[in-house]
Amino acid sequence: MTRKQRRLTMIAAAGSVLAVAVGLILFALNDRIVFFQSPSDIVAGGLPDGQRIRLGGLVAEGSVQRGENAQVRFSVTDTVETVDVVYVGLLPDLFREGQGVVTEGVLTPDGIFRADNVLAKHDENYMPKEVADALKGKGVWQGEQ
Amino acid sequence: MMIWIVFSVLAVAAALSVLVPLSRSGREQRETAAYDVEVYKAQLGEVDRDLDRGLISEEAAEAARTEIARRLIAAGGAGEEAPDTPTADAGSRPRARIGLRVAQALALVAVPLGTIGLYSVIGSPDVPDQPLQARLQEPVQNRSLPDLVARVEQRLAEEPSDGRGWDVIAPAYMRLGRAEDAAAAYAAAIRILGSTERRETDRGEALVIANNGIVGAEARAAFERAVALDPSAIKPRFFLALALTQENRKDEAIAAWQALLDEAEGGEAWAEAVRVELAKLGVETAPAVAAAPGPNRDDIAAAAEMTAEDRSAMIRSMVDRLDTRLSEEGGSTDEWLRLMRAVAVLGDADRLRDTATRAEEALKEDPAAVAQVKSLARELGVGS
Amino acid sequence: MIVEVGHFALILAFVLSLVQSVVPIWGALRHDQRMMAVAPPVSAMMFLLVGISFAALMMAYVTSDFSVLNVVQNSHSAKPDLFKITGVWGNHEGSLLLWVLILVLFGALVAAFGRNIPPELRATTLGVQGWVTAAFLLFTLVTSNPFIRVSPPPLEGQDLNPILQDIGLAIHPPLLYVGYVGFSITFSFAIAALILGRVDAAWARWVRPWTLLAWLFLTLGIAMGSYWAYYELGWGGYWFWDPVENASFMPWLAGTALLHSAIVMEKRGALKVWTVLLAILTFSLSLLGTFLVRSGVLTSVHAFATDPARGTFILGILVVFIGGSLALYAWRAPLLKQGGLFAPVSREGALVLNNLLLTVAAAAVFVGTLYPLALEAVTGEKISVGPPFFNLTFGPLMIPLLLAMPFGPLLAWKRGDIYAVSQRLYGAFGLTLLATLMVVWFQGPQQILAALGIGAGVWVIAGAVAEILSRARFADVGMSTGFRRLFGLPSSAWGAAFGHIGMGVVMLGIVATEAFQEEKVLTIRPNETVTIGDYELAFGGLVRRTGPNYIDDVGHFDIFKGGVKVAEADPAKRLYTARRMPTTEAGIVTFGLSQVYVSIGEVHADGGADIRLYHKPFVTLIWLGCLVMGFGAVLSLFDRRLRVGAPRPARMRAVPAE
Repeated sequence: MTRKQRRLTMIAAAGSVLAVAVGLILFALNDRIVFFQSPSDIVAGGLPDGQRIRLGGLVAEGSVQRGENAQVRFSVTDTVETVDVVYVGLLPDLFREGQGVVTEGVLTPDGIFRADNVLAKHDENYMPKEVADALKGKGVWQGEQ
Repeated sequence: MMIWIVFSVLAVAAALSVLVPLSRSGREQRETAAYDVEVYKAQLGEVDRDLDRGLISEEAAEAARTEIARRLIAAGGAGEEAPDTPTADAGSRPRARIGLRVAQALALVAVPLGTIGLYSVIGSPDVPDQPLQARLQEPVQNRSLPDLVARVEQRLAEEPSDGRGWDVIAPAYMRLGRAEDAAAAYAAAIRILGSTERRETDRGEALVIANNGIVGAEARAAFERAVALDPSAIKPRFFLALALTQENRKDEAIAAWQALLDEAEGGEAWAEAVRVELAKLGVETAPAVAAAPGPNRDDIAAAAEMTAEDRSAMIRSMVDRLDTRLSEEGGSTDEWLRLMRAVAVLGDADRLRDTATRAEEALKEDPAAVAQVKSLARELGVGS
Repeated sequence: MIVEVGHFALILAFVLSLVQSVVPIWGALRHDQRMMAVAPPVSAMMFLLVGISFAALMMAYVTSDFSVLNVVQNSHSAKPDLFKITGVWGNHEGSLLLWVLILVLFGALVAAFGRNIPPELRATTLGVQGWVTAAFLLFTLVTSNPFIRVSPPPLEGQDLNPILQDIGLAIHPPLLYVGYVGFSITFSFAIAALILGRVDAAWARWVRPWTLLAWLFLTLGIAMGSYWAYYELGWGGYWFWDPVENASFMPWLAGTALLHSAIVMEKRGALKVWTVLLAILTFSLSLLGTFLVRSGVLTSVHAFATDPARGTFILGILVVFIGGSLALYAWRAPLLKQGGLFAPVSREGALVLNNLLLTVAAAAVFVGTLYPLALEAVTGEKISVGPPFFNLTFGPLMIPLLLAMPFGPLLAWKRGDIYAVSQRLYGAFGLTLLATLMVVWFQGPQQILAALGIGAGVWVIAGAVAEILSRARFADVGMSTGFRRLFGLPSSAWGAAFGHIGMGVVMLGIVATEAFQEEKVLTIRPNETVTIGDYELAFGGLVRRTGPNYIDDVGHFDIFKGGVKVAEADPAKRLYTARRMPTTEAGIVTFGLSQVYVSIGEVHADGGADIRLYHKPFVTLIWLGCLVMGFGAVLSLFDRRLRVGAPRPARMRAVPAE
């Protein structure tokens, strides 16, 4: 191989790896990201069926019902609208009524949110950032200071 | 002092770490190239070793040797960037000397001064270490009272039904001058542990001090409960007598004081205070029994003096504070009336008159208030 | 007094770092021996001073000196002594002090053990390290000073976040920081080389031990962090693609690439420009990670309490250092001479492929980590990028990397023969095929993906073994000579082999766990049993226990296999009393390489409890593999080649004559 050929081979190899990577990243960014929604967004509708979303808000007071085999029902509210959530699994240590929470899952056609993941940070002062922003937008929560 | 010695040692050591290498001249100079050569020679050795072990082929070894040799020559030949002979220490040139001097000055002056300057802004050299163990092991009297109070407060915040805690914290509040907190703490102790003569009296005393020395209705009730629990107790009766005095119920007051004095065996500190009170009411009493055994007369007098003085000094300082505040910032009618009563307790007629005048002046926009002030002044014997 | 001495020493170190930033580099540019000679003693002095400072803070923690605000906020007198010590770096201020301590430690190490490095390069490197040190000391003193005092002191502290009261915290952050911050010294070497205009094969050799050291600790730190999250968070996961994890993983990917490209530079003098760029990028990613973790721009389960002012300051440091170094690079790099030539199929070519895949993978992680930020800034839309994204982008990039891994070390320099190499890998290929078929046989054809994954792991391990064995050439020289040759191999060759074997082991662990793990979530009542894998767990009920600063509700499980009791597990719900904060203590029992994992959730009034139960086959391989990789790095560090002596003055005259 001549010097030029060598260089071309290298550039072609690098280019194809890069192209594949960029393609994967773009595809994944279209397909594998999860949008954050507040209960108001969900009630307003317009979500395609079966799309994974993150639902964030406050756990409504008095809404938590525990069933057998770690099934939990609770409502997530932004104080304007409320969405019922069903989750099977262990809740995070800091999951409490009246506290901020982020759940991830799918909205069923009957309007119940089926979560497969419930997040609460491991800090007692924590308000998930997205929840804080959404609540601030509704003028409900003023922040810590 | 010690701390500044340590600081100086550190600062000097730091300055020396810059100064010493700067002043050490004429160390043997080695070219950069020599270091390169060392690396490439080692690489040549590796090629030989790899070849010996049969890890690489003869041709590969030869190619590698050529390449390394080329680098070796490049390093040996073109290693120097400076036109000077490599052994000449650049630091001996005149321009370089200036640089050196600057660096030396920097080390000597800027390092210690800069550090001390910065430290004086953000450091706290006066705050000693306060490890918890040492703080807790210090004898109680040496431990700062706020510490103790803070500790007990925290306990009580978690366990508000701990009556003993309230019992402990109440006198501490008194010593810190937090009379209102003390009164509340005694109230809590009474609620949880029950009423005793001692607690009721102390609570009453706290209330009196919180009220600038005036025995109010609540305090009076407390003292009365104390007397009910133990009719022979001196202190509550002392305060009840004081209450009568303050209310200008002269005859009853004199009777109460006299009753107290009758119980004195001679030499009690409070007895002297009672005599002072009686004297204010115009009753002459016999001095403490001269023949009493025990401490000599002078001692007794001194002790009595102390207590009375202490007490009145305390009241005086409270009155002064209230007075200053009212004259500077003004105050409500009630506050002025309270001040007048307090001044009356001090027994200073001139000051009372002056206070009444200033009260009238301050409240002149409110005729009803002025009327109240006038009537109180009359009641206290300084009215026009 | 001790506390204040610590504070004073820290300020003194800052002032010294300013001196260090100027004097040695000035000296190097002007060939002034004396000014260059300042660098090593000042580096040592700074290490001493920051060490005093750190010791003073630790003293304050151990003695519960609540006149120090930092101690009040993060300690409690009832905390066990070990956690009083680890609490020093369990908070922002203390961990930053640890950061700086490691920064100056690396400076001092180069000062002490870098005698074989030319004085100009050493002085300039230490000077650049001085810039980084000065920036972070200023950051510490201005926004995050751990020596702020309180007077009068309160009698009790607010305790450390309970999730951090764990032995994992004792080990994990220091290891991670040594790795993270260790790459600062390769950064300083790179900048120094650019300033001096000298980047060559010798440079690569001088930098190599430091890269290895940093990489070793970063590898161990990430592994520890992963294990810590696994057993402390109670979710049973070992990697979440959480921003903070990514923050440590990106420098690891770039650092791994650097480790490999530096080999090419050292051996062949090629890839200079690229290697210097990688050195800059690796530390830039470390800085970025620090920024992401401290500023609170990204939410994460690991993040400390955050503060926007600190974020802005770190952003400033980030911009100055990354921007400045890249600008310097753009200016100076074109002046560097091209190195040796090589064919696409060659050892160099394989290492270039390695670099390409690793850096592109790092870029994918970078995009996934920062995309939510960028999107929110541009469109206001809030999204989360989770494991699905990373599995889809990062995963496929790792496949060619793993497949190519056994070939690299077997290829010759300059021009390799792929067919000859393939022949030497027949054995490894056979083993791979066997392993894959066995998995399909035992687990069924629906597990074909898992089988291929296991195959990839076996391929990497067998390839590394084949490489070592082929170097010994048992077939040609017989058993005894073969063994002698095997043990006579340079330890860096063993190091590389163990590094690759470790990677294969990690791969096996990940695939086995992901594919074959069983999970159950259920409510269990006392005396009930539940089966998972080959194990039966009998629940004995909940008991309350009191610890030094917490209360536990402990669930007791007896574990049976084939009717025989083999182990017990005691997972707990723990309540830390000072902060009234609950945590989950998972019960983990190791059987061989596999683990049974139980964690407790809601406790029911009738004595029952919600539990999450896992059987995780071969899960320990994930962390054991990291240890094997680390062992490989240690072996490489002990290679005699890295200990090229300093030239003796007497010999130097003789050389140019050659």
